Amino acid sequence: MADRTGWQGAVESELRAVGRELAVPPASDLTAAVRQRLEGQTAGRDMPTVGAGALRRQLRWRTALVVVVALLAVLIAAPQGRAVIIHVLRFAGVELGQGPGPVPSPRSSASLPGERRMSLEQARRQVSFPILVPAALGRPGEVVVSDGGRVVSVIYRRAPYGLVRIDEFAGHLDQVYFRKFVPLSNAAKVEVNGLEGLWIKGPHELVYITRNGYSATASARLTTGNTLIWGTSQVALRLEGDLSKTAALAIASSAH
Amino acid sequence: MRRVIDDAAAIARARDGDLDAYGVLVARYTLRAHRAAYLLGAGEEADDVVQEAFVKAFRNLSRFRAGEPFGPWLLRIVANEAKNLSRSRRRRAALALRLPSAEPSAAAAGNPIDEALAAERRAQLVAAVNALPDRERQVLVCRYFLDLSEAETARVLAWPLGSVKSRTSRALSRLRGLLVPAEQDPVSSG
Repeated sequence: MADRTGWQGAVESELRAVGRELAVPPASDLTAAVRQRLEGQTAGRDMPTVGAGALRRQLRWRTALVVVVALLAVLIAAPQGRAVIIHVLRFAGVELGQGPGPVPSPRSSASLPGERRMSLEQARRQVSFPILVPAALGRPGEVVVSDGGRVVSVIYRRAPYGLVRIDEFAGHLDQVYFRKFVPLSNAAKVEVNGLEGLWIKGPHELVYITRNGYSATASARLTTGNTLIWGTSQVALRLEGDLSKTAALAIASSAH
Repeated sequence: MRRVIDDAAAIARARDGDLDAYGVLVARYTLRAHRAAYLLGAGEEADDVVQEAFVKAFRNLSRFRAGEPFGPWLLRIVANEAKNLSRSRRRRAALALRLPSAEPSAAAAGNPIDEALAAERRAQLVAAVNALPDRERQVLVCRYFLDLSEAETARVLAWPLGSVKSRTSRALSRLRGLLVPAEQDPVSSG
């Protein structure tokens, strides 16, 4: 029965686990440098040179997470008018952009590609990252694995919070999983278990991004309540629900 | 105020010389490209490799076929740059993949003995991957460390799909041989 595929699957999943832990030094922000070189050859326009070196040194990833908090700070400090500022921010596999997003479907029927409901134990066997469950909420009401194991959603209906949803994914792998359309003044840096997180106030448009970088139109929807994004070195999470910041942080720090 | 634009729209505009639009792609793909460059052998020079790759990609946008995903196309250029670099450098020792020396508070929960064993096993696996022949190591990096599909890996490494499959399974077999095959045996052992 489980002959060749058995051991192969085992080696494959160990390799994936190792891949999540490999030491990769922080990347520099290259936007300004690349632009400068391209302008040099396109010629003609006189552009103020952005301090690429300074920005470069400023950006440090302390964990394996994709954390672009430094840029976020710059953006929050100078929300408008900066010409060349990157209008795309990435945080733990979630990309934030300003301005209106795709038109979300009016009802909450939006879904991720290939959703499959299953038990927590089954889900744990099907995905390549650890699924964290917040002790503060107890056993999940529903567990949904989507897009061939790329995302796991852990869903609760619990007084006093109502509907609470946690999407988990390997967001530290430098891929985009979700794109959000948020006025950046609604986003703030927070700390979850000593690591950086992002707190987003209020509903915003959310769309799932497939592994090829396309928006999955059917997934576009308006989020409910507030959102917290954070991660560990092995998994990134977004918690969504009608939660106060204190409650969200308490739930997040009880996740293990 | 700018809106976020899709890859396809950004590429179309960049092709017409819109550097803002290209900047969106640079921002969006820098981390992925950097991880690929680093793991495919550029090591400490990953930033330079990625910068070079973005400049070359811009110059070659006219060859980009509309509808094709941008990621693998870009990573192919990155992989090529990384290859040229290691060819000129010829020093492999410094490029070995490694695990972080100390995992800080990553997995707080769990049995410390199990964790120690797992850590040791992972270290062995990394050492085994480092010891593989170049091509087999590359294919494993693409498939499992960069999370690319077989088809994407073929695109990135510029190999036929068949080579991706055969080198992957050869590499996996070698790792199986290197790791202690204690578990996972279908024949019940006494």
